[in-house]
Amino acid sequence: MLRPRLIACLLVQNNGLVKTVKFSDPKYVGDPINAVRIFNEKQVDELMVLDIDATVRGCEPNFDLISRLSTECRMPLSYGGGVKNVDQIERIIGLGVEKVALGAQAIATPDMIGRAAERVGSQSVVVVIDIQHTGWRQRPEVVTHNATRRTGMSPTDFVRIIESHGAGEIVINNVDRDGTMEGYDVAMIGRLCSKTTLPVTVLGGAGHLDDVVDLWRAEGLVGAACGSLFVFKGKYRAVLINYPNTEEKKRVLSDAGWLE
Amino acid sequence: MIGIIDYGLGNVRAFENIYRRLNIEVRLVRSAEELEVADRLILPGVGAFDWAITRLEKSGMNEALNRRVLSDLVPILGVCVGMQMMGTRSDEGNMIGLGWIPGRVKRFDETKFNQRTHLPHMGWNSVEVTQQGSLFDGIDNPQFYFLHSYFFDPDDAIHAIAYSDYGVQFPAAIRCDNVWATQFHPEKSHHWGIHLLKNFADKT
Amino acid sequence: MSENLQICSNCVMDSSDSAITFDDRGVCDHCNIFYQKIQPNWDTREKGARELERMVDAIQATGKGKDFDCIIGMSGGIDSSYLVYAAKEMLGLRPLVFHVDAGWNSQIAVNNIERIVDGLGLDLFTEVIDWEVMKDLQRAFFRSGVPHIDTPQDHAFFATMYQFAAKHRVRHILTGANLSTECIRNPLEWMYYQSDSRQIRDIHRQFGERPLKNFPMTSILWHKLWLPYVRRIKVLRPLNHMPYIKLEARQLLMDRFGWQPYPQKHFESRFTRFYESYWLPERFGYDVRKVQFSSLIVTEQMTREEALKELATPSYDADTIGQEVEFVANKLEMTVGELNACKTMPKKTFRDYKNQQEIYVLGARVMRALRMELGGKR
Repeated sequence: MLRPRLIACLLVQNNGLVKTVKFSDPKYVGDPINAVRIFNEKQVDELMVLDIDATVRGCEPNFDLISRLSTECRMPLSYGGGVKNVDQIERIIGLGVEKVALGAQAIATPDMIGRAAERVGSQSVVVVIDIQHTGWRQRPEVVTHNATRRTGMSPTDFVRIIESHGAGEIVINNVDRDGTMEGYDVAMIGRLCSKTTLPVTVLGGAGHLDDVVDLWRAEGLVGAACGSLFVFKGKYRAVLINYPNTEEKKRVLSDAGWLE
Repeated sequence: MIGIIDYGLGNVRAFENIYRRLNIEVRLVRSAEELEVADRLILPGVGAFDWAITRLEKSGMNEALNRRVLSDLVPILGVCVGMQMMGTRSDEGNMIGLGWIPGRVKRFDETKFNQRTHLPHMGWNSVEVTQQGSLFDGIDNPQFYFLHSYFFDPDDAIHAIAYSDYGVQFPAAIRCDNVWATQFHPEKSHHWGIHLLKNFADKT
Repeated sequence: MSENLQICSNCVMDSSDSAITFDDRGVCDHCNIFYQKIQPNWDTREKGARELERMVDAIQATGKGKDFDCIIGMSGGIDSSYLVYAAKEMLGLRPLVFHVDAGWNSQIAVNNIERIVDGLGLDLFTEVIDWEVMKDLQRAFFRSGVPHIDTPQDHAFFATMYQFAAKHRVRHILTGANLSTECIRNPLEWMYYQSDSRQIRDIHRQFGERPLKNFPMTSILWHKLWLPYVRRIKVLRPLNHMPYIKLEARQLLMDRFGWQPYPQKHFESRFTRFYESYWLPERFGYDVRKVQFSSLIVTEQMTREEALKELATPSYDADTIGQEVEFVANKLEMTVGELNACKTMPKKTFRDYKNQQEIYVLGARVMRALRMELGGKR
């Protein structure tokens, strides 16, 4: 039986790992290569690495860093950040990355999703939707460039566009919950999930394994991605890479009603 | 020596790293000449079927590869699209496969799913081994990472050696004489995958 | 090589330590210093318990009303892990567990820190060293040709802890340094004083490629005089005053917390593992296990025969060392060729670079005269 994925998400800035709160105040948390080595040994389901600098600065993905990461990585890896064209996607897949995530570019030129899928297969094309509640009515809106630009598009509309162009996975990234560790916005996630049959991964808000349990109970087979939860510990937000071991993971799955 | 066929697709480095950690001689193979030195081969692959076949043809290794597999009977392991390429045809494209194992690559029938999520089949799934020995030797409660929307359906069910379940039962691994293949990614499946790759090196 | 070395008849130190001397029974000066100077003054029973009581009173008095009453530097290794346990459970202290991430943590290290902190219900604070700066400084030490290339890491650990204590007015720092497993110290020529900031600056000036900005620095005068006597911040070593038996500590930590053991002391850092098990013995002929085992021999936790047997096999795994070298090179963004070139380059010592050795020698003499330090480095 297929089981939901528990994903570690790492943010990269200037070759180093950082963790943000609501997409701001990046705190330095260390060297990416060592983090990957530790996550390998902890047998993480999947690793997501997002370069939060590349798009904002308008530069190419850091192929050298991606290559060094994928060389160390013994689990499935998805990469996002600064990807603008199909050639870049193909090059990243060639470096040993399983999935490439598009953000701003998928909004600017959605047909690129389809062109990428023709080359590398739809299963390797991911679209990340950064969602922020905006305006006086606090409606969810798709934002880009580290939440510095608004698109005026509703997440539901964007989900439809993504699916129609043949992407393989949608990552719902909740800007308002990023780094807050107060739990996923399960209601919003539920509304979006009901609009698509694509695999969904959610990011933003996990502060405890029980948040993952709540998510899986409500939405079943969605990927639960965690940033702060797997790099911070305790009230001082002490950097300490962690991930549930086999028994702890079993408990999470069974609490979510996943194992007999 | 294990040769990993590097035709521009698939995670060749991940295989290379695992074998080097296991202290098993390994090399990336990029030409017909290099194919000759390897006594075991791995054919990785990701992406669309036609694209993968085209890339393999363009690599100039196709002919030598057919000879190594079909006449020299070199053990070969196909992975993901590398497995699908070993079939005759695919629903995903128009090109002809390598045809080493008779069978067709099919898309999952989405009308059979009762869960919300349809395709791709993405994540960790358990694998039920129906023909023990060799590849799966000593692997307890096998779990592997899958990432695909199509699967290989061999004409003769005898060629399927392990199954997985995603709405339907589908072959997770196949074998015909010296030709082996897995739909999942052993190179990204932690200790289960490392064990399987070691078995391929030691026991086939 | 080892055939030509004279081995101490009591421990396993030998003439690979060029400063070693032997008495007429063939017993080395390390042993003699231990038996004559350290052992008679080292008490883990009544006197030790009284000393601990005094310590605890002082710590609790200065920590009243604060979130924690002391900080304990924790690497995830056995000494610091056991110390955290002892401080909380045996001494009734409220320590803040302080960890410095220099970029080389192993999975076992982070697991152990997590298990102990959770198991004891303590809080953790981590300081992460800027890896780009650390990488540059470590490369500089490789290129300098000296043996003590663990200096950047070790210096950063202590400097960060002192800076934290000074900034947050913490009056007591507890460390896992101890006589039981470390009464025989690495000879000076093997491992020069890692707190010598003058040496670090000089090596960085000659071989570094980027500014030493953000690198935590301390200096002997700051942490040995200013902090303890002006700021009244004391570094304490409680393990010296209680029975501390390595094997028993290890078993307790495993049973009680799910702590994972290491194959060798200091292996919680991937770098130290590489450096102590491979680089030092292969490039310089210095095997730190001799020092570690000798400490255990004189404190009767290991027999000389057991030590000799273990020393007969190399401390690194010949099958995997190639990948380890590659990993270290990759992580430091050097080529394997460049790293190997550093291994065969002419050997240098701390004397080839600017240093403050005189201050250390003077300081050690004063400390011994005041009986604040037993034994010590030489």
